[in-house]
Amino acid sequence: MQHLKTLLIEVDIDPDRLEMYNLSAAMGPKWAEICTEFTERIKKLGPSPIWWADRDRKTKE
Amino acid sequence: MSEYKSGSNLEKVLKSGHFAFTGECGPPEGADVEHLKEKAAHLKGCVDAVNVTDNQTAVARMSSWAASLILLQEGLEPNFQMVCRDRNRLAMQSDILGVYSHGVRNMLCLSGDHQRFGDHPEAKNVFDLDSMQLIYTVKTMRDEGKFLSGKEIKVHPKFFIGAACNPFAEPFALRVRRLAKKIAVGADFIQTQCIYNMDKFREFMKQVVDLGLHEKCYILAGITPMKSLGMARYMASKVPGMDVPDSLIERLKGAGKGKVAEEGIRLALEQIEELKEMKGVSGIHLMAIEWEHRVPEIAERAGMLPRPQLS
Amino acid sequence: MIVGKQKSFEEIWDMVRGYKKVLVFGCNTCVAICHEGGSKEAEILGSLLRMKAKQANGDMEIDTGGIERQCEHEYLDQATEAVEGADVILSLACGAGVQFLGEKFPHKTVLPGLNTTFIGVVDAPGEFSERCQMCGDCILHLTGGICPITRCSKSLMNGPCGGSNNGSCEINPDVPCAWHMIHERLEAQGRGHLIDIFIPPKNWITSRAGGPRKQKREDLAT
Repeated sequence: MQHLKTLLIEVDIDPDRLEMYNLSAAMGPKWAEICTEFTERIKKLGPSPIWWADRDRKTKE
Repeated sequence: MSEYKSGSNLEKVLKSGHFAFTGECGPPEGADVEHLKEKAAHLKGCVDAVNVTDNQTAVARMSSWAASLILLQEGLEPNFQMVCRDRNRLAMQSDILGVYSHGVRNMLCLSGDHQRFGDHPEAKNVFDLDSMQLIYTVKTMRDEGKFLSGKEIKVHPKFFIGAACNPFAEPFALRVRRLAKKIAVGADFIQTQCIYNMDKFREFMKQVVDLGLHEKCYILAGITPMKSLGMARYMASKVPGMDVPDSLIERLKGAGKGKVAEEGIRLALEQIEELKEMKGVSGIHLMAIEWEHRVPEIAERAGMLPRPQLS
Repeated sequence: MIVGKQKSFEEIWDMVRGYKKVLVFGCNTCVAICHEGGSKEAEILGSLLRMKAKQANGDMEIDTGGIERQCEHEYLDQATEAVEGADVILSLACGAGVQFLGEKFPHKTVLPGLNTTFIGVVDAPGEFSERCQMCGDCILHLTGGICPITRCSKSLMNGPCGGSNNGSCEINPDVPCAWHMIHERLEAQGRGHLIDIFIPPKNWITSRAGGPRKQKREDLAT
């Protein structure tokens, strides 16, 4: 995981956008919690540089 | 003349049974001939021969052969050093003939510090031959009159062949065996790494004498007087293969501010006194690097003057 | 095996940035074992290049692939379709593979994605160290199975030198002194006397110094 985060930094992508969680199918509440938390995290970070790049390309076309 | 291998002053001094005294002079990091001559002038008359280093610590300097020629012109006898790091066998044999043709008669065959220590760590090293193979090469050129290729040499170089020895590197058990191997391959004289641990050196010489090596080869004990506490600490921790006992550092500390250099010289003189009497030791190699102006005083106080003048 | 290390992402990006269709091509023998150049590594690198390319606002198509190894004709044949479809191939093979790929498709630009480093062994997962310098005239029988040409920093054949420091090489305490190791190994095997034997000047003609080398087995020629 650490390695992948380092690779993301190479391409100017915030490593916080990638995370790994380990849980079983029986852990419903935990799953919901993780989804909420991560959605918040991403909202705070805003769109990724890739999203911006894609949008810029679309506006040019 | 045929009784001598080279007829050099150093060889004559040693062969006649005198206790030899050699010095060292590093070539400049530039073409500053005047500074080199100044350093050499201090040594004149105080030593039997002067070591001229070859890109010491892998730092580019005026070549050893060029500085050796300058020393010859100034009336000193050079101990031309060649390392294995920068030259292949062609260049080596060529330089050997070159310096000989100019009158150089003593040559030291060394491995050389790795270039990573020096100012050109990106350089490619050579190491076509190692120091033992270089000794073998010079001996072959001298005694058989042949190049390594087997081809005959017209007018072959007659060198007095030297090598280095470090009694303090580990494993200790290997050090005497390595010395024996260098002698078997052709070393006529040896200069040791500078000695601070006299106990260990005594032990080393005992083994050397037991094997009779001192009868096959002249052994010169290396001495470098400590100039400062900083120097002592640096040698103790940063120089590979150097053995500096804590007692020595304590003694220098005890001398007091401003008096360390004098204490360092006093220590060196004590060592020299003992080495004069030590069985198997044929002389002293004094490495007072960038301290050449103190050599005449040290030589005087050590009772080394005047140097024998042999024809 | 041959060990290599991927070039920095910066260097790779610099090499491929001007092209439209890039093929990142892996080799699954040596460089896959050191996790630097296999098909999987090609896919990872391809992904990163896509992310970078998008941000750079260029128009770049990046494909990935790989074959068993890039140093044999029969495997390179399998690469033809993928290679022909690309503008440039970033090969993750060792130097031999990159060149062979280039020889097979001389009209294509082939770029090296790896720095080939040495012939070595796997000390532990992810840890490799050098063992052989390919001198062409092996002397391991004289040195207790430890190569002084490779493992001695000065390639001494009659070592150790005066810089040998408590079992370490003078250049770095992490580098073991080869001759110290040779001495210990030989002593342990009761062959300690070998270290007293003079090894004469080496004939380097069989090494790379003698020129690029070739080898042929007449009995295997078709």
